[in-house]
Amino acid sequence: MRKEEIKKEVISLIADTLEIEKENINEKSNLVSDLDVESLDLVGLVVAFEDKYNVEIPDSEIKNLQTVEDIISFIEKNV
Amino acid sequence: MYKLYIEKDVTTKELFYKVINDLGIKDSLIYNEYGKPYFENSNLFFNMSSSGCYTVLAISNKEVGVDIERITMNDSVIDRICTDEEKKIIKNADDFTIMWTKKESYVKWLGIGLSYGLKNVDTLKIKGFKVIKKDDYYISVYEN
Repeated sequence: MRKEEIKKEVISLIADTLEIEKENINEKSNLVSDLDVESLDLVGLVVAFEDKYNVEIPDSEIKNLQTVEDIISFIEKNV
Repeated sequence: MYKLYIEKDVTTKELFYKVINDLGIKDSLIYNEYGKPYFENSNLFFNMSSSGCYTVLAISNKEVGVDIERITMNDSVIDRICTDEEKKIIKNADDFTIMWTKKESYVKWLGIGLSYGLKNVDTLKIKGFKVIKKDDYYISVYEN
């Protein structure tokens, strides 16, 4: 998958899961400090990405997913 | 023994400094590899959490973890975080929120956070959680 395509999908999925506007999300957005993602949201996002991309995101990987870019990179490498 | 501070409409930073000023604690913070803060020299431990309008801080002479969550239900995460036995006892949003906050308080007590894997926290086997209801929120505290 092309990075641009993944980026678009990731931002849409975050927007849908967190019920926020896509326009407020970009690659540099930090999940916690910019998007106010709390732990429960984060686990919800991880499950949503696993379902969409049929990929396993280990618990040990969650701490590395700090920005939208981190999620895009993870999917690029693992899907 | 922990003391729990529950405040409305304050940030975690504001509550933290208010409490340590009130208690006269003058100490620096250090962080473990997962980002959990500790006092550098004091023999006290603390942990914080926020949800919606509430922020909580637990301070103790023992390691402590605290979590607050507004009562909610999130079916999509149950398979990821619950054991088969735990799934059987979740009948409503109250059950889910209590279980979530117990698991979170435990991994925060460990100082590892979500990386530990919430399914590895079997709330039916681990004893000693203190659960408090405040308005439409649940707070769990774990210390040991």
